[in-house]
Amino acid sequence: MNSLTFEEKLRLIKQMGAFIPHSSGLGVELHSIEGSELTLRLPYQQQLVGDAETGVLHSGALTVLLDQTLGLSAVCSNDIAPSVTPTLDLRIDHFGIAPPGADIFATGKVLRATRKILFVDGYAWCDSPDKPIARATGTWVRVMDIDLEWIKSIGRNSA
Amino acid sequence: MSLVELIGRDPDAATLKLWLEKIPYAVYLGMEAELRDTNILFRLPPDDKLIGNASLPAIHGGVVGAFMELAGAIHLVAHMEKPVLPKVINFSLDYLRASRLQDTWARCEVIRQGRQIANVTVTAWQENPKNPNATARAHFLIAEPEIAKENSHVPLET
Repeated sequence: MNSLTFEEKLRLIKQMGAFIPHSSGLGVELHSIEGSELTLRLPYQQQLVGDAETGVLHSGALTVLLDQTLGLSAVCSNDIAPSVTPTLDLRIDHFGIAPPGADIFATGKVLRATRKILFVDGYAWCDSPDKPIARATGTWVRVMDIDLEWIKSIGRNSA
Repeated sequence: MSLVELIGRDPDAATLKLWLEKIPYAVYLGMEAELRDTNILFRLPPDDKLIGNASLPAIHGGVVGAFMELAGAIHLVAHMEKPVLPKVINFSLDYLRASRLQDTWARCEVIRQGRQIANVTVTAWQENPKNPNATARAHFLIAEPEIAKENSHVPLET
C-alpha cells in the first residue's frame, strides 16, 4: 500500500497550506492525526460572524472548514495512494450552533475508497468531539495520483 | 438597527446592501446583491484571500458554498410573508467545475415554503448561467415547532 507515514502526512498538509491561501489566512491549522482521522482547527474570529448580535459564526465558515478537512482526509487516506481529489459533493447537517468565542474543530475520515471515488464523513465540534455541532458527508473524485517520491522528499531538508 | 429589525419583504437595492453590511461574514467575503426584475442576483467578486487552490488559481470550494448559503438565506427572507432570520438545517452542494478567480454569480429559488420549513435551491455560475459551477439545496427552519393541543389533529405537513 502506498499510504503515507504520519510524518509524511504532516509535511504534506503543511506544504498544501501554502497552496490554500484562504484557509491559511484564516489560521486553519492541523490539530491532530489519529489513525485514519484527521482534525483541523479554525480559530474564532469576528470576520466570520454571521449574527453580529450574538457573535455566532456563520454556518458558511463551517462549510469552508468541513470541505477542507474532509478533502485533506481524502488526500491522506490510508487506503489509497495520495491523489488529487476535487470535491464532487458535500452535505452538511447543522445540529446546533458554535458557542460565540469558541474555536471550531473538524474531524474527517475516509469511510470507503474505491478506485475512483472516496466517500468521506466528518463532523465539526467545539468543546468535545462527542458533542458535534454539525455532520458532513461528501464524495471526492480521484483524478490523478500525486507523485509519492515528491511527497516523501518535501520538507526533508527543513525537517 | 440590528439585522432582525431591518429585514422585510421585497427589499430595494439599498436595503439589500444594508442587510449585507450587517452580516460580518458577508462583508468579509465581499458579497454583493442587486435586483434583476423581481429576482435578486448575488455576486462574489474575485479576491486573492478567497483562493483555495493557488496553482489554478481557484476560489475555495467552501467559500463558493458559503456564498451560496448566504444567498439562499437572503433570497428566502426577501420572499417571506413575515420575514424572520432563517436557521439552516442542512445544506447540500454539488460541485460541477472549479470556480476561477473571477466574478461568481448566484441566484436562488424558493421551491417550497411551509409554516416551519423552507426548501431553497441555489445555482452559481461564472461566465454563463447555463454552465453552472455549483448547485445547492438548503433547508431552513423558519419557525419553532407548534405545541399540539390535546385531542388536536397534528398535521404532518411542514
